[in-house]
Amino acid sequence: MIVAEQKSLDEIKSLIGDAERVLVVGCGTCVTVCFAGGAREAAIVAASLRMATKLDGNGKDVTDVTVQRQCEWEYLDEIAEQIEGADLVLSLGCGIGVQAIAEHFPRKWVVPGLNTSFMGLPTEQGVWAERCAACGDCVLGLTGGICPIARCSKSLLNGPCGGSEGGHCEINPDIPCAWQLIYDRLSALGKLDLLMAIQPPKNWKTSRDGGPRKIVRDDLRLGAEEE
Amino acid sequence: MAHIQDLLTAIGLEPDRAQMFNMSAAMASAFVTVAQEMTERIARLGPNPLRGPLDTLTDSERGE
Repeated sequence: MIVAEQKSLDEIKSLIGDAERVLVVGCGTCVTVCFAGGAREAAIVAASLRMATKLDGNGKDVTDVTVQRQCEWEYLDEIAEQIEGADLVLSLGCGIGVQAIAEHFPRKWVVPGLNTSFMGLPTEQGVWAERCAACGDCVLGLTGGICPIARCSKSLLNGPCGGSEGGHCEINPDIPCAWQLIYDRLSALGKLDLLMAIQPPKNWKTSRDGGPRKIVRDDLRLGAEEE
Repeated sequence: MAHIQDLLTAIGLEPDRAQMFNMSAAMASAFVTVAQEMTERIARLGPNPLRGPLDTLTDSERGE
């Protein structure tokens, strides 16, 4: 899932500025599961803003609504009327949700209520950890299902480096060394020979280094049959 | 509870306005003690600034 954290109420108030009618928009997918921007959080942020701005002497009209997914136009269409009626939209979606609203409602000012952090999973209740860096050229088949791009602090493909100590990373002893994890797992599964194969240099063009990415599936595009 | 108190602080309210006490249904004297403690604390903090003085509230806002 995409993991995010809420911005502080002070920063949110500053982003809202002098807007009078504010619509807080939650998202029912990733940020609901990581307790950052779902229906419950949207209601709490809206209530907090109503109280905080009233105490500041400039009470604002703050309402909230949550859609199934902010990152698809169809779900945003369902709240078009509410968005049009607001001076400003405070999105509690990830960065994609914020941009989806901005793109779909070109005349509406939208600000983020979250800091989008990473793609990861909950390792225990209340703890999320990064697992994927979306490099666009997955190497998990060579590394026993442990990603050296996302989990090695240096994104090394030929680790471990000299900073691996006792299975931990030099930048923080709480971070396990990804290459130690990879070695241990491949060893346990009898697949250490995978590490002996010479790999060509990784093509980073599929990652951010190649600029903004886009996938086009002609088989799925509307009208593809007729073309 | 710590999260709620942080939220109250961010909003601009005193965090001491909310507190959770754990006890069983058989702990009547403990209940009385914490009820008195909270009553005194709230009286000390004064009316909720979001709602204004008591005499400006409607009956339903006063819980009547």
